[in-house]
Amino acid sequence: MKKNLQWKVILALVVIGGAIILAYPFNDTKIKRGLDLKGGIHLVLQVITDDSINMETDQEIARLEELFKKNGITFQKAIKDGLGRISVQGVLADEEGKTRDLFGQYFRDWDESFTGDRATLALKPLVIQLLRDQAVVQAKETIQNRIDQFGVAEPLIQRQGSDKIVVELPGVDNPDRVKELIKVTAVLEWKLVKAGPAPDEATLLQATNGQLPEDAEILKGDPKRGQGGFYLVNKVAVVTGKDLRTVRRTQDEWNNPAVSFTLNTDGGARFEQVTGDNIGKQIAIILDKKVQSAPGIESKIMRTQGGIIRGRFTVAEADDLIVVLKAGALPAGIKYLEERTIGPALGADSVRQGLVAGLVAILAVMLFMVFFYRLSGLNAVVALILNVVILFGALAYFKATLTLPGIAGIILAIGMSVDANVLIFERIKEESALGKGVASSISLGFSRAFSAIFDSNLTTIISAIFLFQFGTGPIRGYAVTLTISLVANLFTAVFISHLLFDLTVKKTAKRLSI
Amino acid sequence: MQFFKTPSIKFLKYKYVALAVTGLIVLAGVLNVTVFKGLKLGVDFGEGTLLRIMLKAPSDEGAIRDLLASVGLGKSLVQRTGVSGREFQIRAMETVNTKGSEEDQLEAHEALADKIIAALRGDDGKAELARGLVDLNTVDERTLSSLLEKSFPGSGPEAAQRVIAHRNAAGIIADFGELSGIGLKPEVTAFLQNNTFLGKLTVLSRETVGPQVGADLRRKAVQATVWSLIGMLIYIALRFKLEYGVAAIFTLAQDVLITTSIYSFTNREINLPIIAGILTIVGFSTNDTIVIFDRVRENQKIMRGKALEEVMNVSINQTLGRTLITSGTVFLTVGALYFFGGEVINDFAFLMLVGTIEGVYSTIYLSCPVVLFWQKLFKPKKVRRR
Repeated sequence: MKKNLQWKVILALVVIGGAIILAYPFNDTKIKRGLDLKGGIHLVLQVITDDSINMETDQEIARLEELFKKNGITFQKAIKDGLGRISVQGVLADEEGKTRDLFGQYFRDWDESFTGDRATLALKPLVIQLLRDQAVVQAKETIQNRIDQFGVAEPLIQRQGSDKIVVELPGVDNPDRVKELIKVTAVLEWKLVKAGPAPDEATLLQATNGQLPEDAEILKGDPKRGQGGFYLVNKVAVVTGKDLRTVRRTQDEWNNPAVSFTLNTDGGARFEQVTGDNIGKQIAIILDKKVQSAPGIESKIMRTQGGIIRGRFTVAEADDLIVVLKAGALPAGIKYLEERTIGPALGADSVRQGLVAGLVAILAVMLFMVFFYRLSGLNAVVALILNVVILFGALAYFKATLTLPGIAGIILAIGMSVDANVLIFERIKEESALGKGVASSISLGFSRAFSAIFDSNLTTIISAIFLFQFGTGPIRGYAVTLTISLVANLFTAVFISHLLFDLTVKKTAKRLSI
Repeated sequence: MQFFKTPSIKFLKYKYVALAVTGLIVLAGVLNVTVFKGLKLGVDFGEGTLLRIMLKAPSDEGAIRDLLASVGLGKSLVQRTGVSGREFQIRAMETVNTKGSEEDQLEAHEALADKIIAALRGDDGKAELARGLVDLNTVDERTLSSLLEKSFPGSGPEAAQRVIAHRNAAGIIADFGELSGIGLKPEVTAFLQNNTFLGKLTVLSRETVGPQVGADLRRKAVQATVWSLIGMLIYIALRFKLEYGVAAIFTLAQDVLITTSIYSFTNREINLPIIAGILTIVGFSTNDTIVIFDRVRENQKIMRGKALEEVMNVSINQTLGRTLITSGTVFLTVGALYFFGGEVINDFAFLMLVGTIEGVYSTIYLSCPVVLFWQKLFKPKKVRRR
């Protein structure tokens, strides 16, 4: 064997061996199947980032009022005046300077302006941008935490664009539960009840002559928890979900599932004091503005004692509440833009049928090639198999996902792989028809067909790269398998196939089986 | 073995006829898309909800349509899929209030899907549910596992996993008898018979895309396609000449137009995998085109002084064997997909079958003539030297 040939053989063996090692043992851990083949949930959700700006504005209004009072600046009221805007009304003209100083010192993230007796603060665009961004980042983390707590193998949670999050959960078979788990904001609050429950708001406000007290708000009971009616509760929460130290599933005195909790030092102290001062009153446990239950306070609850949340939970509901409480609240609301649930049965079916079809297709092509090109066709068959082997090796290496459109990409590549061999073989035939010897026909066939193969493969690779760059999910899957197989194609259909001819056809051969 | 000795068919003699035929097909396609049927956009592009269900007992499209009509959802598209007569694909077609916000629309689609499922179920299982039984055909693995664990401590998860695996493989459990063959203990099977029931249907898949994401996907699909075409144009123009690049683009524009219009005649919907199919057709057709152009490039060096049209004709003839063999193998591959590939891939395979035939035609009768016309239009006539 020529030295040159020896090196080629070694290179071929290394590449193929490498691909086999990478892809072995061809199972799920090596070749990831997409949701369309495996089943699972694909969700696209949007973070309502306005929420986090509103929340920031509310907090700043509270801080502003406090600072104004502390510094003795007169004002009528401070209100939210559009997105990221605070309007302070009734500022005295001779206190404008003092106000400006205060703003300059404490409200650097805001642009200020004065018209008459009104001072307006507007959140700087850059800060708004930052808040929106943080909200999305935090939401993504929270969702990730919840999914992890819930326990899903290999979830994919990705940010997409400025305010979207893509959640892919392979193999999950209870979509409604998971969707709820992700969507719930999970702001948990304990607030003292002033009145309620009442069947409607008017009854609730009878004691205050129909006027809503400034420090109170009206909340609805959560019908899912068996709480009808309305409650009048304090605006300020005693403790919130942030004060929780541990949560755990337990049972209430009637053996129904419930959630027990303990509080951190700070929250425990507040809880102890408030419960001590308000024995006989009710305290409402509120999740996302809905009253879950409103037990009466029978005695002072010591800071280390904790308590339980009950409300006719099922085991699953109690578990999910624990998950969201542990993972924390979402910084902003979310809404779903896209929901796809592919049942595992359909995925398995697609795989089975795709596999059968793929095998039939490949076998048919192989038979045809051997029938039509005889021993040389066998050569093409080897090249075809190696192409697929290298493809799977590369898919495993890049941790790419195999999807249905991805299989379409493979089909195109297989077609082009066969085409490369057809081009070469037809060219070899042409050359030998012109009276050239076997060896020179082969070598001319390869060299003359190469430009067509190279150009057509590269054109398609270029288009695939653009598809990958600009496309979405399925189209990307298509572009990935296509690109990989075409690169492999240049190697197998040209290099390996040529090598096989060199190895099997003697220099002195008079006839070629083609 | 060889189909034929290099033929010498005068393909380009008929270029005007071919152009007229092409023109007619494209015109018909354009009319079909714009005036008559239009392209049916699928669920991927923000058009509602797609449900795939499997029934315990075989049924037919009419019966399902009747069930849906009884709750005012008669416009839904019902299609039987698979060979068992138990699988159906339902596309909710009721118009959804478009005045509402994005979320309202998505939720309206979802509610529609719920309504369809409820209508198909009818009263099936209501009595059992009221008695506290669990539907074994819809229960998730966790719930089943904890249910079994209560009565069979230590073996709940494993038994649940076996049952669910069986359900996934079969699509639906039609009869408790099926459970005997999956390695469950007899007492577990007996327990399941007493504490669960077999609901009438399972939902195989359920897809809803909101208008915002739909528009987004549409935009991105168009963007990706356009950019990849531009990429091809530049490469071909660099490797060959500008007019060859232009011709390649014309060719594949025709490919897209003709295949999508034939596709639209069949009432099939356009979804993302179909876009991949169209791109595949474009890929094959471009491949064909380049092979011929490559031969033209080569022959121009050999056949100096000959008119381009003649060079092209010879090149098409020389590559004809290859064109037919390659297209034949592709046709073989796609045919296998069409017949064995299952429902999900069927639309794709159909498109490919059409596209493969069309691609051969467009390569021969569009790409070369366009180069010729372009040269006639833009190249000044060379004065022959004596």
